[in-house]
Amino acid sequence: MGEQLSDGGTAGRRRAHPQGTASGPQGVGAGPDLEALLAAAMRPADVDAEGERRAVAAFRAARDAGAHRARTRRRDDWRPRTRRRTVRSLRATLSLFVASLALGGVAFAAMGTTGSSSDASSKGHGTPTQSTAPSEPDPEPSSAASGTGQGPSERPSTAQDTEAQCRAYEQVASNGKALESVAWKRLVEAAGGEEKVAGYCAEQLVRETAESGKPGADNANSGGNPGQGKENDKAGKKN
Amino acid sequence: MGQGAEPRRGHAYDGELGAAVARAQEGDEVAFAVAYRIVQPALLGYLRGIVGDDAEDVASDAWLEIARDLGRFKGDGAGFRGWSATIARHRALDHLRRQRVRPRSTATEQDVLDLPGPHSTHDQALESISTEYALELVRGLPRDQAEAVLLRVVVGLDGPAAARVLGKRPGAVRTAAYRGLKRLAGQLGVEGVTDDGPRTLGESK
Repeated sequence: MGEQLSDGGTAGRRRAHPQGTASGPQGVGAGPDLEALLAAAMRPADVDAEGERRAVAAFRAARDAGAHRARTRRRDDWRPRTRRRTVRSLRATLSLFVASLALGGVAFAAMGTTGSSSDASSKGHGTPTQSTAPSEPDPEPSSAASGTGQGPSERPSTAQDTEAQCRAYEQVASNGKALESVAWKRLVEAAGGEEKVAGYCAEQLVRETAESGKPGADNANSGGNPGQGKENDKAGKKN
Repeated sequence: MGQGAEPRRGHAYDGELGAAVARAQEGDEVAFAVAYRIVQPALLGYLRGIVGDDAEDVASDAWLEIARDLGRFKGDGAGFRGWSATIARHRALDHLRRQRVRPRSTATEQDVLDLPGPHSTHDQALESISTEYALELVRGLPRDQAEAVLLRVVVGLDGPAAARVLGKRPGAVRTAAYRGLKRLAGQLGVEGVTDDGPRTLGESK
């Protein structure tokens, strides 16, 4: 032991000689010799048997009493920290990445739907004749019957749009500011005046229900439409 | 060889210790005794630095708690050192609170430290020192430095583990250990003369 210490010491001593100033904080002080020396001096060479016997007896008692099935508290968890943290941060980074992808996808998709639906609604509202006369023959019946759902099938979407706006109108009517937005102006315009909106809406609703009662392509389409109606509602508010 | 054997005392046994702890957690009392024999010297050395002569009693208390809570522990051999040192430290602080004893001797170390640089005897002083002398030196350090030195050097914990035992930031503990060891080195460099007597060899400075 002494041999080893002095062996290792020479190397350490040179480095650390002038009061150990040479070694950095990582090397902790005056080099390995001092540390080894301290450790050797502070740690008793032999363990007393009595203490061991007591500890083992306590262990046995705890084991037999089932104390060793106790739950691990935070302060009892001494598993290597850094690795866990790296793994966790890696996982966090990954999930963040995935989440951002997903959110980005959703946002992109939403951009698409609101874009197309506002197209549809602007088309619908731009020509009041279409919305006031939904019973007119559809210029493109094939697109309505194609059943893509996503495709702007004009008549039902316009009707739904109007219906949704009418519903929303009832809620917003009390708020003067909201009615100044473009969507509401269009609705009012279509109805032919602010006071006529209620009647216009009622008429629309009647038509709508009558139409959805009919079997056929319209019905199939209206089944896929409530979501779109909502979208249109949103789009209208955005306007 | 000193480098290889030395780096962190106790680490050589960490594999064995981890295995013993794992078996003890499954109910093997012989394995628990093995773990005791591996860890107890380090704990006792640490506790001596804090509570002095009462270290044996405090260690005994600590082991009762360790034996009771062993099932809660999770970790390897090195982790077990840290965990048991934390328990021992809490028992020691309780003990000190009861005793109202400050484990500080603020006597002459500072004077010693301020003496002119060490002579060539710095080397020879480090051949070996007695437990009492080492104890006296360590307990002459400010408390935070003493504890940091003891945990790093005697218990053999790495920086983060020592910091966790002390409930401090690793940087603070590293600094404390560094200062403490530096101070001890200075003291040993001077006082070693009286202990061992000068030898002929040595790097004259």
